[in-house]
Amino acid sequence: MILAATGPEIAFWGFAVVAGIAGFFVVGSRNVVHAALYLVGVLGSVGAIYIVLGAEFVGWVQILIYVGAIVVLLLFGIMLTKAPIGGVALDNNQRPVAFIVAATTFGGLTWIIWRTFGGTRIRLSPTRTAQIGNSLFTHFVLPFEAVSVLLLAALVGAIVLARRD
Amino acid sequence: MPFVAPHIAWHGIAPELALVGGALVALLIDAVKPAVDRRFLAGLSLATIGLAAWFTFDLRDTRAVIMQGTLAVDGVALFGRLILLITAAMTILISYHYLSRRRIHRGEYYPLLLLATSGMTLLAASNDLLLSFLAIETLSLALYVMVGFARRDEKSQEGALKYFLLGAFSSAFLLYGIALTYGATGSTQLSVISKQAAVASVDERLMFVAVAMIAVGFAFKVAAVPFHMWSPDAYQGAPTSVTGFMAAGTKAAAFIGFFRVFLVAFGALQWDWRPVLWIVAVATMAVGSLLAIAQTDVKRMLAYSSIAHAGYVLIGLVAANRDGVSAALFYLLIYAVMVLGAFAAVIVSAPGGSERLSLAEWGGIGRRYPVFGGAMTLFLLALAGLPPTSGFTGKFLLFAAAIKAHENALVVAATITSVVAAFFYVRLIVLIWLQDPPPDDGHPGIGPTPALITSLGIAAAATIVFGVWPQSLIDLARNAISHGFVG
Amino acid sequence: MNLAWPLTLGALLFSIGVYGVLARRNAVLVLMSIELMLNAVNVNLVAFSTWIRETIAIGQIFALFVITIAAAEVGIGLAIVLLIFRNRETINIDEIDLLKW
Repeated sequence: MILAATGPEIAFWGFAVVAGIAGFFVVGSRNVVHAALYLVGVLGSVGAIYIVLGAEFVGWVQILIYVGAIVVLLLFGIMLTKAPIGGVALDNNQRPVAFIVAATTFGGLTWIIWRTFGGTRIRLSPTRTAQIGNSLFTHFVLPFEAVSVLLLAALVGAIVLARRD
Repeated sequence: MPFVAPHIAWHGIAPELALVGGALVALLIDAVKPAVDRRFLAGLSLATIGLAAWFTFDLRDTRAVIMQGTLAVDGVALFGRLILLITAAMTILISYHYLSRRRIHRGEYYPLLLLATSGMTLLAASNDLLLSFLAIETLSLALYVMVGFARRDEKSQEGALKYFLLGAFSSAFLLYGIALTYGATGSTQLSVISKQAAVASVDERLMFVAVAMIAVGFAFKVAAVPFHMWSPDAYQGAPTSVTGFMAAGTKAAAFIGFFRVFLVAFGALQWDWRPVLWIVAVATMAVGSLLAIAQTDVKRMLAYSSIAHAGYVLIGLVAANRDGVSAALFYLLIYAVMVLGAFAAVIVSAPGGSERLSLAEWGGIGRRYPVFGGAMTLFLLALAGLPPTSGFTGKFLLFAAAIKAHENALVVAATITSVVAAFFYVRLIVLIWLQDPPPDDGHPGIGPTPALITSLGIAAAATIVFGVWPQSLIDLARNAISHGFVG
Repeated sequence: MNLAWPLTLGALLFSIGVYGVLARRNAVLVLMSIELMLNAVNVNLVAFSTWIRETIAIGQIFALFVITIAAAEVGIGLAIVLLIFRNRETINIDEIDLLKW
């Protein structure tokens, strides 16, 4: 099985393992800044997986927006709220409950996924960015406009809340 | 691949364009001239809503799926827009003086309100899960900010944080459900999903998980048990005018989206989801009514009452027939009006920036101010569902729809919880009329203003008129669904 | 490649996010966990899109929208968190408890 793996499959496995392990550290780390850096690991690996899966445009957007913008925002949030670095409990006392809920979710979802898609093969070939652009500005033109309204609302809202006066 | 410009049905999205355009103009004016009279911004917003209503009225004879299948123009979408525009207009009437009194009258309030309304109207008309999700996020993001609009008030901040964190959490569930639906059916368009879901090749258990996760997302937005935890905190913390807007608008928009997605896309799976929603409906009615009894804060009491009302509207969805839809539409409209009336009364209850929030402060207020006490009593009677108010008619229609769908046990449960709920409404009415007014309750009288009196008057008149002569509105709601959902 | 593998990765990231939301008490960390959940959804969407291969690439477009919304949510979320921090010097969710039944 593993010997028959192709290049992209090996790449997928590599990035998937990195994403999974870094994901555990995001929710397990005792240092807020480390958690944010592990988040970069997850987001970067997931972006690489998009590229492996053929979604090149989404992959690069993921790296630009998530790693380049969202994580920076989160780091600013950590800095401005003077989050304690080590020493202070970052978790509440419902960790066992949270673990059970998460494990059940994972078990249930994995079971249903393998039951339905266990035998489905996918062919890895890239989607052209022109195709994405064409689809976005023809078929999805109303959602595209709607999301611009959403961003406007978010922009105004964030300024209203965070501005000092 | 050559680019072919898409066809845009301008008339179909004209109401939303008007709302967004009005928001942009209001933002620009506020940015260029920060000292602009707030009366001007409020008037501009009301005019925008009027324009959107006119464009909506213009669509009354159209039935089509437009914008590449993402938007539905049908009776339900129009009725939904009607409810939401009325809600937005009444919210502006009750906001104006309230915001000034609390000294939080910043100009961005009006654009945010209009943007939230445009998200709500899009949700009511959306025929595609992608657009539904974007519409939900638009209204939610605007509302998170509006809940925290009293920035210096710790309760307002706390309400915003809890609403935001739980809202984002539930959005993730909604999204996962949509992703699974897309994987199972190959589309996000409601009519395509409905065709695919009926085909045997789609795995039923996968669809069940997908539908359950989408239901979690919608149940959160309508504040159904067990996803109601955010709503008492957000309702209590938010500025009172925003609380009214959420109780009336968010609920109506989310319910219409809920109905459309479940009856159109997942109609073929109704034997799977109806029993689950049956339990959710009963739990919502019971928990909302029982916990409301224990409340001492009037806004928090109305929040639990609002949870219970979500349970009543869910009856219409469990009934899953046209009567259920028309009864729910009727109920959402009259509930929006009466709950906005009740929150307007809370705002009027004191002239300064602080309202009479604790129930004890309402003691004997009816003896001192009989007209005001009478208006609040009317809204409480309507919320309790007692005749001759519109609340009674609304419940009657929902119960009739459920009986038609052979859901007799559900009607029994709803009746029992209505009796429980009547207890705390009547308790407040007794307090208003039968207790001696305290000699000095710290509140120098009540604070009516022309805009507040107008909104109280409209709400009171509508509550009585649609209680005593409901037929025209019932017909309107029935016509809205008489040809079914489009698509 | 087997479609179930990327979907399993999605399920794993989603569950890790659920754990983080329930177990963390720092609001920024909860926000990060929600980002994990949104990423999980995107992995699913892209994987399904690769499998279905419709010309309009619904899954990939949807993923782009989700990324946009994640950015907007983080913006609003941090604004609220900063607002609270200015007043209370804490962003631990279990210490923000004025409102109670």
